[in-house]
Order: sequence, then C-alpha cells, then structure tokens
Amino acid sequence: MAAPLLEARDVSKRFGGVAALRHAQFSLRPGEVHALIGENGAGKSTLAKILAGSVKPDAGRILIDGQPAAIASPLDAQRLGIGIIYQELDLFPHLTVGENIVIGNLCFPEGRLTSPRNVDAFCRPFLEQAGLECGARRMAGSLSIGERQLLAIARALSMNARAILMDEPTSSLFDDAAERLFGLIRELKDRGVSIVYVSHKMDEIFRVCDRATVLRDGETVETVEVAATNAGEIIRLMVGRNLQIAARPYRRPLGEVVLEAHGLTSGKLKDVSFQLHRSEVLGVAGLVGSGRSELGAALFGLDRIRAGAIHLRGSPLQPASPRDAIRRGIGLLPEDRRLEGLMMRMSVIENSTLAVLARMQKLGFIRRRQEISALGPVVRQLALNCPSLASPAASLSGGNQQKVLLARWLLLDPDVFFLDDPTRGIDVGAKQDIYRIIDGLAAAGKGVMLVSSELPDLLRCCDRILVLSNGRLTAVYDAKEATQETIMASATSFGPHMRKPVKDAP
Amino acid sequence: MLDLLRRAQSLAALSGILVLAILISPVASDGSRIFLQPGNLTDILRQISLIGIIALAMTFVILTGGIDLSVGSLLAISTTLTAMALTRAWPHASYTSHILRAILAAVAVSTLAGAVNGAVISALRIQPFIVTLASMIGVRGLAKWLSSNENIDIGFGRDVAAEFAAVFRQKAIVIGSYACAAALFWILLARTVFGRHVRAIGDNEKAAEYAGLPIRGTKIWVYSLSGLLSGFAGVLYAAENHQGNPNAGVAYELDAIAAVVIGGTPLTGGKGSISGTIVGTLIMGVLTNMLRLKNVDSNVEMMIKAVIIVLAVAVQGRDSDK
Repeated sequence: MAAPLLEARDVSKRFGGVAALRHAQFSLRPGEVHALIGENGAGKSTLAKILAGSVKPDAGRILIDGQPAAIASPLDAQRLGIGIIYQELDLFPHLTVGENIVIGNLCFPEGRLTSPRNVDAFCRPFLEQAGLECGARRMAGSLSIGERQLLAIARALSMNARAILMDEPTSSLFDDAAERLFGLIRELKDRGVSIVYVSHKMDEIFRVCDRATVLRDGETVETVEVAATNAGEIIRLMVGRNLQIAARPYRRPLGEVVLEAHGLTSGKLKDVSFQLHRSEVLGVAGLVGSGRSELGAALFGLDRIRAGAIHLRGSPLQPASPRDAIRRGIGLLPEDRRLEGLMMRMSVIENSTLAVLARMQKLGFIRRRQEISALGPVVRQLALNCPSLASPAASLSGGNQQKVLLARWLLLDPDVFFLDDPTRGIDVGAKQDIYRIIDGLAAAGKGVMLVSSELPDLLRCCDRILVLSNGRLTAVYDAKEATQETIMASATSFGPHMRKPVKDAP
Repeated sequence: MLDLLRRAQSLAALSGILVLAILISPVASDGSRIFLQPGNLTDILRQISLIGIIALAMTFVILTGGIDLSVGSLLAISTTLTAMALTRAWPHASYTSHILRAILAAVAVSTLAGAVNGAVISALRIQPFIVTLASMIGVRGLAKWLSSNENIDIGFGRDVAAEFAAVFRQKAIVIGSYACAAALFWILLARTVFGRHVRAIGDNEKAAEYAGLPIRGTKIWVYSLSGLLSGFAGVLYAAENHQGNPNAGVAYELDAIAAVVIGGTPLTGGKGSISGTIVGTLIMGVLTNMLRLKNVDSNVEMMIKAVIIVLAVAVQGRDSDK
C-alpha cells in the first residue's frame, strides 16, 4: 500500500490546564474520505487545525507522503497541498467572491496590479467545480451560508489542495445544501482528492466516508472501516466504557406542571413541546448547535418566539426580555459564564446580589448589612471558597466563579431554573457541589432544566431527559432507562431519514 | 487590594507634582512660595471647578463604557440661556425668583439634551461617540442661533444679572458647588443601586442583560446627569465671565475625559471611582498652575500635558485584567 498522504503521529496539545490531544494518531490515504468523529471536546477540531498549520502541536510529528513535514503556518500547509474549511467559514464579507479566492493564494500570480478580469479568469474553473453559480464579482457577504461553504471549497480547490479538511461543514447548512455538499465530496474523491471530514453526525459519516477515526478525551480510540461497522459500534467507541454513574440518591414524586411549551419554534428551534413539573430535573441533551442553548434563550426572552406557546404556572408567557422573564419567575444560568454571566471586575458579593438589589435597598441606597446577611447562608450552601466576599470574580477558580453565578440565581429564587451546562470546565469537587445544589432545588419544589455536554451529569441528576438534534426534539427518555449510547444515538440523528433513535443491544 | 494600589498610584502622582510645584515655585518678596499662598491654592480650586464638575458625570458615562462629547456644547447652551433669561425674560420678577428661574431653565434644557443623548444611544443602539458628536455639533449650533452668535453681556451695574454674577462668581460658591457635587456623586456611585448598576453595565453589558438589569433606563439617567452637571457648570461660567457666550466650552469634553482617564477609569468602563477623577482633575489643575507661575509658554504647557496624559494611562494600563 502507498504511503499515507497525511499522517499524525503521537500528536499532543494542551490549552492552559486542559489536554486537548494526547498522543493522537491519524492517517489519511490518498483519495479517501476519512471521518474524524468524537463528542464535544474530544479534540477533533484541534487535530484538524494542527494538520492545517493553524494550531501548533506541543509534541508529535506530522508526515506528508511518508516524509516528516514542518507545518508552522497555514501558508506552509497551502504549499504542501493541504486546505482547510473552518467551521466558522473564514471569509472576508466585504471583498468579492473572486478576491476571497485569490487573497493569500500562492497559486495566483500576484505582485503587479491585478485586474478584475484576471481574477475572474483564474476563479471561473474553481467556481464551476465547486458548483457555485455566481459571478466572481459578487460580494461574499451577500452569499447564503450554503454558498459560502461552496466558496470556501472553491478556494481550497484553487490552492491545488490534495487534501481538504472540513470542520463540521454541515453545522450551518440546511438539508438540500448538505445534499449538494455530499455530491461534491464524491466528485472530489473521484478526482483523487482526500478529504478529512470532521463531524459528530452519525448518518453523514455513513453516507460519505470510507473510514472513521474516533477520538475520545483527546486520544485516538480506533480507526474503523465504515462499511464494516454500524452506528451503535461507533457510538460505543465515542462514549467509552466508563459508565460508572452514581444515580441521584432518591427521587421525589413530581409536583404539578410549572412550565409547559407547546410547538415552540424560534430561529433555531422547530416545534419543541415538553412539560416541566415542580420537583423535577429535566435534562436537555444535544450536541453544540443542536438548539439546547436556544431553548433557554427562547424561554428567557433572548430569542424571538416565532410560533408555539409557553405556559408558566398555567398562564401564557411571552417574555420580551430577560428582565421580563426574571420578573415572571424564570432564571437562566448562561452557558458562557465569562461572557454572559459574571462581572469579572466586580466582587463576589456585588456579583451575587446584582439581580436582587431591589430587595436590599432603602430609597436607592444599598443596605450593605442586609446584603451580607442574605448572602451568608447561600455561600455556605454552595460551599463557596473565596478569600473574601470582596475579592473580584476574576480572581476565583472556574468552579467558584460558577458558584457565584449560581448564588445570584439562588438569591433571586425563581420557580424555574434553566441551567446551561453548569459543570462545564470545572473540577470534580465543585461538580459534586453543583449536583447537590440541583438536588436541593428539586427538593424545594423548583422546576429545573439542566443542559449538559456530559451525559453522566444528566444521568446522575435528571428525572427525564429531552434530546435535541438540529433544533428538533428527537427523544424523551426516563433517566432510569436511558444510557449514554441511546442518548448519543438520538442526539446524532439528523434529518428525516433517521428520526428513530438507534437501539443497540447492550 | 489592586484597586487600592492603583488609587495610591494616582495619589502618588499628585503628591509628586505638588512637591515639584512647591520646589520650583517663584518666591514672593516676603520669602514665601507663591504656589503655597492661600490665594493661589484657592485659585487652583476655582479654576478646576468647572471641568471638575463636568468630569464627575463624565466618570459615570465612561464607567458604562460610553463617552459624552457634547458636554462643552451643553455648557455653552446653558451659559447662553442663563444670560438671556437674566437680561431679557421675566422683567417683573423679584431678584431671587428671577435668578432661580434662569438657573432652572438653563439647567433643565441641558439636562433634557443629555436625556435625549441617552435615549437615542440606548433605543437606537448607536455608538455614544456618534450620538454625542452629533449633539456636540447640533447644540452648539442651537446656542449660536439663539444668541445670533453674539455674547450676551451681564453688566456690572445694580440689575439682577449683575447681582447674579456677583453671587455666583465668588470662590466660596464655585468651590463649594464642586465640593458638594463631588460628595453627592461619590455617594451615588459607591452607595446606591444606581451606582452598582452603572458599574455592572460597564463591566459586562451582556451579563447585565442576563441579570435583568434596567440597561436603557440606567443609560438615560447617566447621560441626563452629564447634561445636568454640564448645565450647572454653564451657569457658573456665565457668572464668572459676566457673559453668556455661545462659543464657550470648546474642547471642555477633552479636558474632562483626560481628568477621568488620568484618574484611573479606562475608556472601556467597568472600573473607576469619583475619588480617582478628583485626583485626575487636581493633577491637571496643579500642573497648569505650576507652569503658569513659571511663565511657561501655554503651547509648551499643552505639550507637557499631552505627555502627562499618556504617562498616567501607561502606568495604570500595565495590569490590565482581560
């Protein structure tokens, strides 16, 4: 067999304290479509970016045609025939289609003044190959997302790429645009171009890929021939065998319905219906981009609701803003605590009491003693560990920052909590504390919705689990019966041809 | 702790400049240093009062992450209206009522203009720089149009306008006004719900939205306060200069912003204090006085100020926390 076109050996990469890749292995044959698959945070995108030269590995080697290659920059990768299409589609919206293709392109003779006619002539064949039917002089910003995807492919083709890395190319595409992309991938393959297809959507892998390399926690688990395996097998490889989950110690009988959504449709969500009871922890599972955060955004008045209805304690709710939602009794712990949650320069106490100052003032003056006495029990309940209540939020660890943010909502005491990935990026001890708080909220008769990227969290905390995929509700599980495999199968199902969750024998 | 250090830093800068001013001060015939004479020290305070008052509200504006370029024009419209009201309106009112009405009218108009700034910024989501740039131009035009581009003189006779000027140009009144405004705004920022909201919005506006804070209302109030204090500074300006001058206050916004920034409030907002702004204002005031006592060319004075501004911010910027 010929030497692999592109190979990664023992590649490791750390970001801060987190190991994104640990001795990862990957090998791409000429003319194959090779899937890189894994859960959120498994290291897929990092590996793709290392292969394309936009991220530098800490250790390990990259080989091209069996020869060690130094890829220090995207320009090096371009010289070696490797193109990448980023998930975010890195185009210049205020330049034309043609300019986007020739800019920084080593295959386009630059140097002297470039006439638009030269650009047109250079771009035409690649636009045709990619199937983008528009003039080279159109502004890139006016293209649809699907057309931008094709433009990015035309750009990669024009660089004479032998290997094209595609990072979750369908994450922002509708079904018909995805169809066109699959057709194009097959054409490219027939022409001998190799493709690395980064995705976590199971059905796509089976439609377009020859082999799949599964990553888990930054390590390569296995590379399999797609024809010789099935979705259940790949999901088992993605999730792993460590299924030691401590179940919620005891479950309470559910109370009355506190929140109900019927046919909820927003920019991302499509026809989502569910009920949340008092004393219930309702999990929301789904991959990044599945609509799980947008569910919170719709309930919290951040996204406009286009269709469907929400009822809170039996009366209709159409929150106009977070302020409105809070007044009605919904609290949302945002996914990104740095960007959406905390005031980093303000103190622990200032951050905690921010939403409830109205209760702690007289004639507009803050009553500090009341502030401190109200926070005391919450700090103990959360096991918040900080040098002083006056220390700035920025000085705390991730887990303690999350607790400060939780304190804000505990003080506000709404009827419904929407917790968006509260255990993301925090240490094990803090995680246990947050589990305990969630249990406590349910015990106090609150309705809790819990989003998590980590399935064991959901299985540990929840009574029932909703699974979202591509904005649709694909399954509702009783947490006692669900397993990581069944949830993952529902979360990776995509489009109408895979509506039923894949059930696999254990 | 860091905050304390930073405050100490600008205090240290102020002390340094004070020591320098004392050292190089010319000596009077009786052997005392002119800089330290009570008359000179109170002159400094009087001179910084107008910019100082404007800078107090500017601190709030900048804390929210905004900017107010219109303060100079708001001062001009207020000073023009004060003089017009005193010399042309209400001929039969008693002195006291006439003066009060004139002040109220002038301050109300500039406060309203500030509120419009705030409403446009928060409702239309246009950058504060653009909105207040527009009102800086527009309000200046209004002031000139109302006064037919002429100074409205306040005489030295025995009429109500002269009485007004005699009262409101006294050092005690001017410095006392600044001191009172400073105390009020210090309390407003440090002790009230409103002040906490101002800082929270500047620190992280997105998070403030998620926490349900009244972002629009707070911003409208902040720009209204800026209009209020600019208007009040305009009243003092009219008394001090014995005229309503539609061309008054040009570039005051830059002096006020400089004082705020030297005082440790970054233009990105989120952190800062009234005490810092007062120190920043004092630094600029003492520096000016020191150089003028030495008869330094006013153009050289500008160049030295430029260096001081950059130095002050460079020293504070080193421990940026983002």
